[in-house]
Amino acid sequence: MALKEEKVIVVDPDKCTGCHSCEMACSIKHFNKCHSYLSRIRIQEFRDVNTFIPVVCQACEDAPCIKVCPMNARVRLDSGAVVTQDDRCIGCRACTYACPFGASVVNPENGKTMSCDLCMGDELGPWCVKACTMQKALQFVRAQDAARAKGRDLAKIIAADYMPPKQDDGGDFAFSFSC
Amino acid sequence: MADFYGWKGQRLRLDMTNLTYEIEKLPMSHYKKWVGGRGLNSDVVYHETKAGMDPLDPAAPLCFGSGPVAGSFAPLSGRTTVSALSPMTSSVMGMDIHGHGDTNMGGAFGPAMKYAGFDQIIVKGKAAKPTYVVIDGDKIEFRDAGHLWGLGAKKTTIKIVDELGNPDVRVACIGPAGENLVKFAAVINNMSAAGGRTGMGCVMGSKNLKAIAVFGDKPVTPAEPETFMKQAWALREKIHTSPSAIRRHAEGSMDLFDVGNAIGINAYKNAFAGFMPDIEKVYGGLQWAEKFLFRRKGCWSCPVSCGRYTLVKEGKWAGYHCGGPEMESNCNLGCRIASYDLAGVNVLCGVVNDLGMDSISCGAALSWTMECFEKGYLTEEDTGGIRLEWADIETSLKVADMIAHRQGFGDLLAEGNVRVANKLGKGLDCVPHCRGLEHISVDPRITMGFSLGYAMSTRGSDHLKNYSCLEFPGCAKSRAYQIDEIFGPEGAKKFWEDFPKEMTELDTKPVLCTWSEKNKCVADLVSCCCQAIGSWGGAGSWNEAYYPLFKSITGTDMTADELFKVAERVVNIERAVWLRNGSGIQDDTHVDRFFDEGVVDGPHKGKKIDREKWAWAQQEYYKCHGWDDYGFISPEKAKDLGLDEIIPDMEKGKEICKKWLKSSKKPTTPVFIPEAFRK
Repeated sequence: MALKEEKVIVVDPDKCTGCHSCEMACSIKHFNKCHSYLSRIRIQEFRDVNTFIPVVCQACEDAPCIKVCPMNARVRLDSGAVVTQDDRCIGCRACTYACPFGASVVNPENGKTMSCDLCMGDELGPWCVKACTMQKALQFVRAQDAARAKGRDLAKIIAADYMPPKQDDGGDFAFSFSC
Repeated sequence: MADFYGWKGQRLRLDMTNLTYEIEKLPMSHYKKWVGGRGLNSDVVYHETKAGMDPLDPAAPLCFGSGPVAGSFAPLSGRTTVSALSPMTSSVMGMDIHGHGDTNMGGAFGPAMKYAGFDQIIVKGKAAKPTYVVIDGDKIEFRDAGHLWGLGAKKTTIKIVDELGNPDVRVACIGPAGENLVKFAAVINNMSAAGGRTGMGCVMGSKNLKAIAVFGDKPVTPAEPETFMKQAWALREKIHTSPSAIRRHAEGSMDLFDVGNAIGINAYKNAFAGFMPDIEKVYGGLQWAEKFLFRRKGCWSCPVSCGRYTLVKEGKWAGYHCGGPEMESNCNLGCRIASYDLAGVNVLCGVVNDLGMDSISCGAALSWTMECFEKGYLTEEDTGGIRLEWADIETSLKVADMIAHRQGFGDLLAEGNVRVANKLGKGLDCVPHCRGLEHISVDPRITMGFSLGYAMSTRGSDHLKNYSCLEFPGCAKSRAYQIDEIFGPEGAKKFWEDFPKEMTELDTKPVLCTWSEKNKCVADLVSCCCQAIGSWGGAGSWNEAYYPLFKSITGTDMTADELFKVAERVVNIERAVWLRNGSGIQDDTHVDRFFDEGVVDGPHKGKKIDREKWAWAQQEYYKCHGWDDYGFISPEKAKDLGLDEIIPDMEKGKEICKKWLKSSKKPTTPVFIPEAFRK
């Protein structure tokens, strides 16, 4: 069986600074104007503890939104993205209720739902990810690599107990190598 | 109605006395004259007040200004300017002379104003009881704030957001310091982003206005979206690849500590000592991050995210967490009081911020008291039994709370150092200030551009008016083409001949400062961050970074030169607020101590300001602006800037200025005024 090649947006909330660049990027890309309400990615803020959770469609393998849509308007594209087809959507919002992340949101301009379309093959890749270049809270990777960066970050903590003493000959490569 | 695109075409006027509001449409001509943010505000501060007006008079306006780029995809576009007459500042002619006050804050308040549909909010009047205002687009509501009174900035924000049940709401509020009219009270938005300088929180408190909560669903629509997107991406790409931006993201503004100490410019011991040994080992951004960084914090649409969030992990204050600090907070509440206890300093920064005070002026109040104790000017009798010695964090925490609540000796310190020293008749020589506002962390005896900038700044001693970062060798080298642009071929040649000693000399500074203050002003006009064109500077100059975005988001036909001219107009109108009170050359200076006493230690040990050169630089700076030798805006210059209406005020002001100079009256603090002007 061939391995899946689709890429997905991976979120690391610990790196999110709550700057909302991703929302601004998404909104201007799809609407030519800027507002969080027009964005398909939303930062859920817990400002009192400076914690920010970017919420974006995870393009679930077994997507509840596809199953629940009475009009079969939620469809999977070749890119793997799961989107709403406007011409079929009746704006019942069933997908927003079914989504376990709250990532399917209502387009305030037409009352239909919308979710991440991975910017439809734009040469920059998904704009939200590009706008997060500095923070790296969002990464666009093959689905099979989704856990790799996080796994390595966590392994570094464990690895610290297994390292030889620090030396000045550039021998700390295990820490400087990043995946 | 014309389409305003980046602008919203209207502003909101709140009348706190009658709890009413008015939505005022603005013509395009108004935007072309003032652009936005700081410009819109300074117009109101000059034209809707009078000479001699008390900043806490209910009729005095308090303005929140947002600019055309705010709330958009453009990076760095989350800034907001808050302006009013400043209760904190004063003239050497008297404590009751106040000038133009403004402060610029990050966070997300300005963008939210835009989403609500307003470029500016003007508050006048005084509510009968504590009130907060909810702005949901065109729906404006005045609510009772009795239950919020006394709360810190963070709790106030949480309560309001909970009450409104909307996590998207953005709150600008005051803490106890603003309620109790501490002269250097701050406006805090987004939990901890402070508009600290010049006492704007005090003005807000005087109106019984605890908070403004704002949200709305009106998007920001660029006039030329394709061009705008390209430009915004280009600027973002510049940031993503700029080593200085990457460092700023990693280390926060505390990346400046080691650079600062390498040239010997970090405030130490009340900002008079000039150099703090081993500062970078304790305060440096990486060292700080290792011990205290919980997570980074970004202003609206800013990939740099230089904001920090602190978590103290061990020791006496283990478990304490708060927004901040940034470099100035840490320096003024740490180095300035000579502390190496960084955990304690972080807690002090968090507490001062939450009480709603300017961390610079509060640090100055603490360090002034410490120096006065050291010199024997103050004893426990003056302070009600409190003894404040260098590096004492515990007592500093107590005194900070006393200041915010105006208790005991804190009531006196809450007036700002110059007023306290004048009232007590002692410690005047221990106040490093210009126009009543205390210096920031950079020593004015070493980097002469900053020094000239403090003295000429319309908000008092502060670097963020006249942000002449190009005098720092690292900045100049990485942006050499800007030196050519500013000085022309001949001037640039001279600049490089003297480089890097150039930093410590006044020669090139009048020209550099005149350009820098307009460069910085453009950032404030469009509501973008000055750091990107200043200290880390990776975005280039105003012309590269912000003019293209301004043009494509508004679709304006204004040229770059016209935008720069607006910046000049704004600098002039802000100065005119001082000038009409008679405050000219006598306030464009430093306290005597910086001319008499050398830097205590470090690479510039012994350096002081030369009086003769200073007098020369003052006059040169005036010439660069087209002002007269008393520093007054000439009628020709006023006309050139389209400010004909200020001419009578300038004439009256100059009379007052000359009369005072010719009198035998002593300045309120010992400052240098060239002899020729006192005859």
